[in-house]
Amino acid sequence: MTRTETGVFLDAVSLSLGGRKILDRISLHLTERRIGILGRNGSGKTSLLRLIAGLVAPETGTVRIDGIDPFADRKAMLSALGILFQNPDHQILFPTVEEELAFGLIQQGQSPAQALETALTALRKDGRAHWAKAPVTTLSQGQRHYLCLLAVLLMEPRTVLLDEPLAGLDLPTQARLARRFAGLSQRVVTITHDPASLAGADRVLWLEAGQIVADGPAATVIPAFTAEMDRIGERDADADLAG
Amino acid sequence: MLTLTSPVEIWAHRWPAGRKLALLALATTGLFLLSSPLLLCLAFLATLGLILTGGAAFLETSLRLLRPLWPFLLIVALWHLWTGDLAGGTVVMLRMVTAVALANFVTMTTRLSDMILVFQWLARPLQVFGLSSRRLALAFALVIRFIPVMLDRVGKISESWRARSPGNARWRVLVPATLAALDDADRVAEALRARGGAD
Amino acid sequence: MERNLTHIALFAALIAVLGLVPQISLASGVPITAQSLGIMLCGTVLGARRGALAVLLFLALVAAGLPLLSGGRGGLGVFAGPSVGYLIGFPVAAFVIGWLMERTTLPVGTAATAASVIGGIGVLYVFGISGLAVMLDKTVTEAAYLGMAYLPGDILKAVLAGLVTQSLARMRPASLLSRG
Repeated sequence: MTRTETGVFLDAVSLSLGGRKILDRISLHLTERRIGILGRNGSGKTSLLRLIAGLVAPETGTVRIDGIDPFADRKAMLSALGILFQNPDHQILFPTVEEELAFGLIQQGQSPAQALETALTALRKDGRAHWAKAPVTTLSQGQRHYLCLLAVLLMEPRTVLLDEPLAGLDLPTQARLARRFAGLSQRVVTITHDPASLAGADRVLWLEAGQIVADGPAATVIPAFTAEMDRIGERDADADLAG
Repeated sequence: MLTLTSPVEIWAHRWPAGRKLALLALATTGLFLLSSPLLLCLAFLATLGLILTGGAAFLETSLRLLRPLWPFLLIVALWHLWTGDLAGGTVVMLRMVTAVALANFVTMTTRLSDMILVFQWLARPLQVFGLSSRRLALAFALVIRFIPVMLDRVGKISESWRARSPGNARWRVLVPATLAALDDADRVAEALRARGGAD
Repeated sequence: MERNLTHIALFAALIAVLGLVPQISLASGVPITAQSLGIMLCGTVLGARRGALAVLLFLALVAAGLPLLSGGRGGLGVFAGPSVGYLIGFPVAAFVIGWLMERTTLPVGTAATAASVIGGIGVLYVFGISGLAVMLDKTVTEAAYLGMAYLPGDILKAVLAGLVTQSLARMRPASLLSRG
């Protein structure tokens, strides 16, 4: 079966890790512009992100992004989807800003000189031309997030995947990044445990124990999620070990 | 990252790295073929002259880079004083100091990135074993990128040890540091894959 | 493929970091350079091929001009100095250690210590002492006296390499690629 439709498409996808079922027959089709995937720690949301990004292959079922198999067809995936990882220190691969920005473009087939030029133009446009030769270790945490985002956006993916994009950042940085995310022309899929970062989403999916327990507009899913989290928090029962 | 390239720019900085390396290889081979104290003394003086063209600060750095040789020089000197073979000792010491100083001269006048480019060029025959120069370049960049990250990590591990114990972490940082390296390797592999992989 | 590359690169960085960290000292307060311990760990954790490649990558960066050898040494000069034999021996040692780890059925800790003694001391010293003999123009026996100064520290490091490898195997069994 080949799917040619656009968007993120999962059909009966399951995944286990170390014998434990992480995701259980998930089916979904995401076409909205702003999508949130909400879940607690251990709900399977990181595994879902890795599946959508093509970092792991599903055990059973099918994953397609704009009709592309994200695990098998890496080349085509580069322009279909970009990921912003939670920790910039795991995402930044190169010692200097310009190398980091140019890498993805070279991977997409640009010549190194051309890629460097594109990167410099993008930095100049944001008034950050002086960053080009800077070692990434001199950037602040917020600046590193910005660098990762710019590196992803330069590759012009049709969908951007955000993994806990605002966690651990101070409020001004959160505000700045949130504004940038809001301004993106791409489809944005945000994966988070924090309902606050999903306000304004067109569609929110609530993931619990490897299954989708709610799926709808932000206005209905988020209050239900928040109420349930409050209820669990009251119980103070976090002594159980998983599996 | 701190490199050994001298911030004092001299004429040799403008020479191509490949040429400097080739000449260094020739000169070092020559030094090991020579066994006459007089000729080695001339080679030593020539090297000293070469370094002096860089000025006083350049000379000072060169001397500092030679410092790890002192124990060896001392041992050789004492040994040959004891055996009475002074000519033999002079040959060994002159050769050692000249060879190391000359090699340091090339390092001090070549930028890291240029040197890495030469290495990539030299490694081209290894492509038949699957070591493409692209992958090699990526590997170099990753190491340079992650040394400060891991140094910082090891510092944090030591701190969290000290926060909960009266003594220093000492060798016990090794296990968490190695685990962190393994975890980082997995995550970086993903980040790499997310942006088109290593091929 | 990416995992191979990143493991090699991250362990090359680990060798460098272990040479740069000053505060690794034993209980007695005797400072040891953990760098050769890093070489041993490359073998015991990554296995022969990846371990040796990690060490080679590290040495290439040293040669390219980064002062990453313990004591802040680096550049081409260290390859023209009397210790060059040890540097050449480093990747061979990591390879032998990894090779032994991949083949032995001994318990992990014992295997790692034994492999580190054989590769990280036995093999490394053959290269290191030969290097000293050539560079200082001495007989191998004379050079061996000089090389033995490092022996007590290196035995300790081999034991530590065994302990660290054993802890890793216990905490994260899948992490030992040498035993994959």
